[in-house]
This record gives sequence, C-alpha cells and structure tokens, in this order.
Amino acid sequence: MTYNPGLFAKSKQALTALDLDVPQNTIFGFLGHNGAGKTSTIKILVGLQFCTAGQAWIMGGDVRQSATRKRVGFMPENPYFYEYLTAEETLDFYGRLSSMDRASRKKRTSELLALFSLEHARHVPMRDFSKGMRQRVGLAQAIMHHPPVVILDEPMSGLDPLGRRDVRNIILSLRDAGQTVFFSSHILSDVEEICDRVCVLNQGKKVAEGPLSALLTGKVLEVKLAASGIAAAGIPEAARLAVRTWHDGVLYHVIVTTEEKAQAVKSMIEAAGGVLRVMQPHRESLEEYFVRVTDTTPGVASVQSGDGFATAKAKAPEVHA
Amino acid sequence: MIVVAIALNTFKEAVRDKILYVLFAFGALMILVSRAIGWVSYGSGEKIMADMGLAAIWIFSGMVSIFIGTGLIYKEIDKRTIYTILAKPAERWQFLGGKYLGLVLTMLVNLTLLSGGFLIYLWLSNAPVTMGLVQALYLTFIEMMVLTAIAIFFSSASTPILSAIFTTLIFYVGQVTKWIVELGAGNPPWVQKMLYTVYLFLPNLHNFNIRDKAVLATENGLAVPYAELGVVTVYGLAYASAVLLAAHLIFSRRNF
Repeated sequence: MTYNPGLFAKSKQALTALDLDVPQNTIFGFLGHNGAGKTSTIKILVGLQFCTAGQAWIMGGDVRQSATRKRVGFMPENPYFYEYLTAEETLDFYGRLSSMDRASRKKRTSELLALFSLEHARHVPMRDFSKGMRQRVGLAQAIMHHPPVVILDEPMSGLDPLGRRDVRNIILSLRDAGQTVFFSSHILSDVEEICDRVCVLNQGKKVAEGPLSALLTGKVLEVKLAASGIAAAGIPEAARLAVRTWHDGVLYHVIVTTEEKAQAVKSMIEAAGGVLRVMQPHRESLEEYFVRVTDTTPGVASVQSGDGFATAKAKAPEVHA
Repeated sequence: MIVVAIALNTFKEAVRDKILYVLFAFGALMILVSRAIGWVSYGSGEKIMADMGLAAIWIFSGMVSIFIGTGLIYKEIDKRTIYTILAKPAERWQFLGGKYLGLVLTMLVNLTLLSGGFLIYLWLSNAPVTMGLVQALYLTFIEMMVLTAIAIFFSSASTPILSAIFTTLIFYVGQVTKWIVELGAGNPPWVQKMLYTVYLFLPNLHNFNIRDKAVLATENGLAVPYAELGVVTVYGLAYASAVLLAAHLIFSRRNF
C-alpha cells in the first residue's frame, strides 16, 4: 500500500502484502517498530487513509463505507479534542456523530464519565485536562456507541503505571462484554499480559502472527543457579558447562542454556558440599520474541487460525476485522 | 443529523473564539466612527453614515470569512481532531458541509447583530432607514456565503496562510471581475483567451455590491428590484455550491 502524504510530497510505501485476520471477541495486539506500518493499517481500517491496492473489511463491511464505521470505535494515538468543549459536551458531540438520540447520549455520557472516573471533570473544558484524562476521554468516545469492534492506536502511550493498569482493565472488560479489541502498542509487557493474539509488523510486512501461547512456546532460554558453601575458586566442571560463572563472596552463580545442564550443575554443587539457593529458568518473553523476529526474520513466522471475523488482506494490504 | 452536529459545533467554536469579538468590535467601532466622519465631510452626513456603515459590515464579514474560514479545515487536520470525527460514521462531505454551514451560521448571527445595531443607530440619528439598506446587507451575506466556500476550498487543500492569501486575492479581484475581459483588449488572442478563462472561473462579487444604490435609494426605498435580488442570490448559491463540490473532490481523496 502506498499513500500520498500531501500535494507535493512523494508517495510512500507503507505496507506490503499484509494479510491479517482478527477473530471475534479477542484482544489483538498489533506490534512493530516506529514506522513499521501499524498506524497506517489502523488508519485504513477506520477510513482515514485509502490503500492503493487490497481491501479491508470489518464484520463483512468494507471499511470505506460509513455504515461499517458504525460498528467501530477508534481512539488515535495521543487523542486531541476541541479545547473549548467540556468532557460532557465532547462525549455528547461524538454521540451525535454516531447518530445516537438525545436520551441515549445523556445516559451513556453519564455512564462513561463514571466508568472513567471523570465525573468531577464533567464541566471542565478539555484544555484543562491532563494527558491521562484526555486518554480516558479518548477511550470513552471510542466506545460511546457500543461498537462491537474497538481499535486503539497506542492506548497506553505516555500513561503512568496506574493509568496503564486502568486502560488494561478497560480493554479486558470490553472483551468480557463480547467486544473485539485491536490495538497497537510499544509496551510489550502490557500486550503480553492481556492479548489473546498478536501480529508483528516489520517495515510494512507481517513477520509473525498467532495466539500468544503458540508464539511464545515457553522454551527455556537459560537457567540461573546460585549456591552457597562453594569456595571462591568455584567448580571447574560447572564452569565448562556454563555460559558464565562468578562468585560474589557469598554465592556462587552459574548460568547455563538448558535445563539438562542446570540439573548437571545442581548435582555438581551438591557433590561439592554446596547448598543450592536459586534455580531459575528464564523463558522467552514477548519482548525477546519481538526483538528476535523483527531483527532477523526474513519471512513470516505465522500461526494461522481459520475463523476470521476481522480480516485485512493486502496484495498490498488486506485486513479483515 | 451529523451535518447539524458538526455545524453547531463549528458555531460553538467560533463563538468561543476571541478573534470573532475582535472583528465584531472593529465593525461596531467603524459604524460609530462613521458619524464623526459624516460631521467633518462635505455633503450629506446621513449618506456618509450609511455608506460607511455598510462598508464596515462588509469588511467585517469578509475578515470573518477569511480569518476563520481559511483555518477551519486545516486546524482540524493540524490538531488531529479530524481523526476521531472521520472515524465515526460521518461521510467526508458531511464534515465539510457541517463546517461550512457552521461558519455561515456564525456569519448570519453576527451580520444580523451588527446590521440590527447599524439600522437602529441610523434611526436614532434620524437618518433614513430604507429597504434598500436591508437588501444591501442581505447581499453582503450572500457574498460571504461565496467567500466562505472559497475559504473552505483553500483550507481543505492548503495551509491557513496560503489559503488566506488566495482567498483575500479572490475577494479583491472578485470585485473587479467584469473588467478582466476588458483588460485583454488590444492584446494577443491567447492573452484574451486566458483572461476570459480567468473571468469564467472567478466569482463576480461585484454583483453583490448594491451599497451605493442602497444609500442613494429614495424612490420606494429599494436599491434593486426583488427579481434582481433573486437572480443574484441564485448565482451566489450556485457558485458557492460549485466551490464546495470542488473542495469535496479534493477532500474526499485526502489521506490523514
């Protein structure tokens, strides 16, 4: 997919052959470095950009149709609102854009202000809002009209730990209510904590996709051992098996790459009269997986599942959601 | 519904914007000053008051169109407020139409207030308050509908500064459009053709200027017959619609 960024600017290639299927009622994490094409994909899905080839659908509807967007709630990265509107007026305005009647708007606005702890700011103009408060209004306007699909671009960006926790909880509650959440994020620990599936983009191409449980196989990358009662010289046999050993004056530390080697080192420690204090396997995290696939993978490491609800395909891009 | 929501919000934005009040104060001041100029001028002070008042309202309205209109769409893109709006089930033409109607509504309210003040001021000063003046004020409003459409056209494709320059140029050149063709006389045919093409595309804003006639109108108080007023209104609305359509063609293809 290429797009024209302005009247006299050159077209840019943003996405290449992106074929993405987002199952219903899941939390889908959309990952990638800056400039990988995440925001471009999201903008295609919500009708802000047009792809030069390929198509995108949400619940069977072409994303270029406004009727499709009735089923979608969207929060952009660092959302901006009219500074002169209060929180209440802002939500009411977005409700009107979603063709909600006056009574529904009023009821829903009160519900959302309470849900996002913004009741005290009901009559405060947006210009006086902190970043975290704007983010909450951003989420509130996205779900104002009860959309079955919620698309969030970097919803945790710039939030403090408490704010991030709140957003995580809201995303989880949306899935529990039967909604589908598709969001991009750089905060991989959050993604790992709440996502059912992820897709990793690199330079406009999909390099990995699938359920987190399938992508993160639980494979042990290394095991850390620490023992007391070992002389400062350490155990030479253990050193030969290890990638690193050291003595901190109290504990003798050994790092090995497999669980088998860890068992062997454990036996050596016991044979040398030491007492094993720590034996901790370290499994691959999403962050390590992300670095691995975006640094080295030339092709796609994909785990497919069939029952697509949200889909995006690209000959350039195709996205189904 | 969506167009109305966007229009009312645009109106709210303009009402809460300080620039509107600065321009309004400027217009009101010019009307008040007209009396002082009438005292020190040769000729009828009443006519000068009416003349200056109409001109002040016209300039005030032009400035509102240019200063607010040219930033209207650009500001939405620059501040990214457009992201959350276009992601709703709003069509792009609804957004553009809503912004336009919002500013036209702002213009209508301001023009009505300023015109009301102006006519009352004339009446208090024992100057004649004729239907011709109302006609002139009405055509000023129609002219501003055209100018606002032009401002929005540039705003949907360019920066506020460039848009303001282009719109101001058209506002100025539009007053003398009918002489553009005459400029070509005696020049090579290609120059004449070019000037004729420019003439076809530029708005003939002079059509909306019946201010002199309004000030001089004494017989039955009308500046122009109502039929002429109707023709000029249709011309203005058609021109504004064509410009808005062109703006839509650009805007509907834009990536944000």
